[in-house]
Amino acid sequence: MSTTISLGADESTGTWGRIRRTASRRTEGRGIVLLTFIIIMVALLEPLALTAYDVTLGRIALIGIVALGLTAVILMGELDLSVASTLAVAGVIMASIPDLALGIVAALVAGLVVGVINAFFVAVIGINSFIATLGTLFALRGLAFVLSNEAPVSLANKDAGIAFGQPLIGPLTPRILIFILVFIAIQLFVSRVRTGREFFAVGGNRQAARDAGIPVNKRIFTGFMISGFVAALAGVINTLERTTADPTAGSTVLLASFAAAIIGGNYLKGGRGSIIGTLIGAASLGILQVALTISGVQVPIQQIYIGVILLLAVTTDPTSLRAVRGSLRTFRQSRMKTPDG
Amino acid sequence: MMAQQTAPSAAEATTQSESSRLAGILTWMSQNGIFIFTAILILFALIFVDGFGSLMNITDVFHRAAPIGIVAVGMTFVVISGNYLDLSVVAQVATAGVILIAVSNSYGLFPAILAALAAAMLFALVNGTAVGIFKANAVIVTLATTFIGLGLLRFFSGGSIFFGPPDGPIRTFGLGKIGPIPYSAIVLIIMTIVLGLLLNRTNFGFLVRSFGVNESATRLGGTNTALVIIGAFLVTAVAAMIAGFVLAAFSNTAVSNDGVGYEFRALAAIIVGGTSVFGGRGSVYRTFLGVIFVSVLTNILVLSGISFGYQQVALGVLIVLAVSLDALARKVAQR
Repeated sequence: MSTTISLGADESTGTWGRIRRTASRRTEGRGIVLLTFIIIMVALLEPLALTAYDVTLGRIALIGIVALGLTAVILMGELDLSVASTLAVAGVIMASIPDLALGIVAALVAGLVVGVINAFFVAVIGINSFIATLGTLFALRGLAFVLSNEAPVSLANKDAGIAFGQPLIGPLTPRILIFILVFIAIQLFVSRVRTGREFFAVGGNRQAARDAGIPVNKRIFTGFMISGFVAALAGVINTLERTTADPTAGSTVLLASFAAAIIGGNYLKGGRGSIIGTLIGAASLGILQVALTISGVQVPIQQIYIGVILLLAVTTDPTSLRAVRGSLRTFRQSRMKTPDG
Repeated sequence: MMAQQTAPSAAEATTQSESSRLAGILTWMSQNGIFIFTAILILFALIFVDGFGSLMNITDVFHRAAPIGIVAVGMTFVVISGNYLDLSVVAQVATAGVILIAVSNSYGLFPAILAALAAAMLFALVNGTAVGIFKANAVIVTLATTFIGLGLLRFFSGGSIFFGPPDGPIRTFGLGKIGPIPYSAIVLIIMTIVLGLLLNRTNFGFLVRSFGVNESATRLGGTNTALVIIGAFLVTAVAAMIAGFVLAAFSNTAVSNDGVGYEFRALAAIIVGGTSVFGGRGSVYRTFLGVIFVSVLTNILVLSGISFGYQQVALGVLIVLAVSLDALARKVAQR
């Protein structure tokens, strides 16, 4: 007993101790394990998914960009389910405006407006964000149908769309470059900018954050505006690449982007998590999807894989495991108390 | 004696600020407004909307309300237990319908019902375990199980449409009606009464409600809270299964995207009925009224020739407004 204590003391000062302390503070552990596992399996079974890295990177960007915006909201302990329809509405708005630049601006502004509406109901009225954004999810899906007359809208400027799909720097398409830019911007925002760092405080303990003088409601507005803007950006990118805007777009994005954020170790109750974790989650899912597609696995089966991974991710975070240990302990104690047990 | 007791309380009431009266009004509205709103809506429809009062339209409203209503009265248990909602009813309704038609075509009706029941129990077990034991977020868990369930269903059914036999018990049930009321609506009424009794008169119902009010107090009271949550998801799953049967019997067909939109319309009915998404408060009977409100509203929109998109916008706005009323009532009451 005493040796373990002294060992612990030694560990906390040595290199090993520093690694352990960092590991206990970081939240990306499960994401890294999953990513490593997927890379090893894919390298052994379907190495083409790794060698054709431009395809895989494109897929990671597709999944990841919405997840990055979502992470900003999750860090504050809120959810934004409406991202899926924001993406569709932004795409439809952009395609229905003949002028390309004006369309893109209008779509991005629409994303910001959706963020403001969501944040208003969450911060000012005080509705749970799951329910508020579920309401806007469906309302906006309806709006996408209304604006598009229930049919896909083609982009007026098809050439721009075709050019957008071509590699720009080396093998990197504009989509991948925008994804990298968004990643860097949000990562810098939550780790280096005061406003962004306060997101962690808002998610960790809202009352304490309020007492410390952080304008909590303003931060919630900022967070939802980020996720709305990024979702609209994803809608713009999708519309450019496909040269049409589909009002039904985005329902699978919802699953994949939530899975990426949660695999990355972002706590749904807020306060802990990281943008890098979301990147790891998006990378795991992107590589997995490309490998499954190459090996001819049907889309429904791919969704089962992602669903199972999301279910595992959400049930294996430390709070869940603590809850399970707690109930096991209660169960054992109750067994010990019963005379006939 | 009576006068002495009431005098100070009356004095207190006059000194109390406007906000408490406002809180009273808001709380009353969010809980009982549904009675008035439903009555006004039906009156409005009878007077102003052509064809609403016709016997054929009333049967149609019942036909459409029944499966959504059956899902909604079941899902009320999950909402009252403070777990927001069960998104996976989308997959559950479709699974039950496809199993009913596909299995009964080759093995008979009874094995089909057993198979559907097994599927429903599996959904409830996975959802309930993840939420009740692992304390995971119900929205995310049921989002995952929706895609797992739909993926499995699409894989096994090949995405094809299953047709029932032109005659037989399923078809008879689907077409049968008493007066203007189809059998499916009678199933909804029976489900409402049975689940209402389950929620209000049994120990299990009491535990579901108390879990929604205060989770840790319920656990410290010696309740196995995990079983309560699994039970709430089981009620929802069985209701979704019956809704799937009713839906498949009505059209005599089943396909893997039959349940699309059910999670949303059922939630709209539950919330509009006055069951609180914050958990603990609500009832199955209110949900029944909410179902009537949402169905009549949808019917009015359809009869007025308003497109599907606008209907979705209207229901989305309705959900957010109803929850806002509840949230504002709570906020003002706390002040």
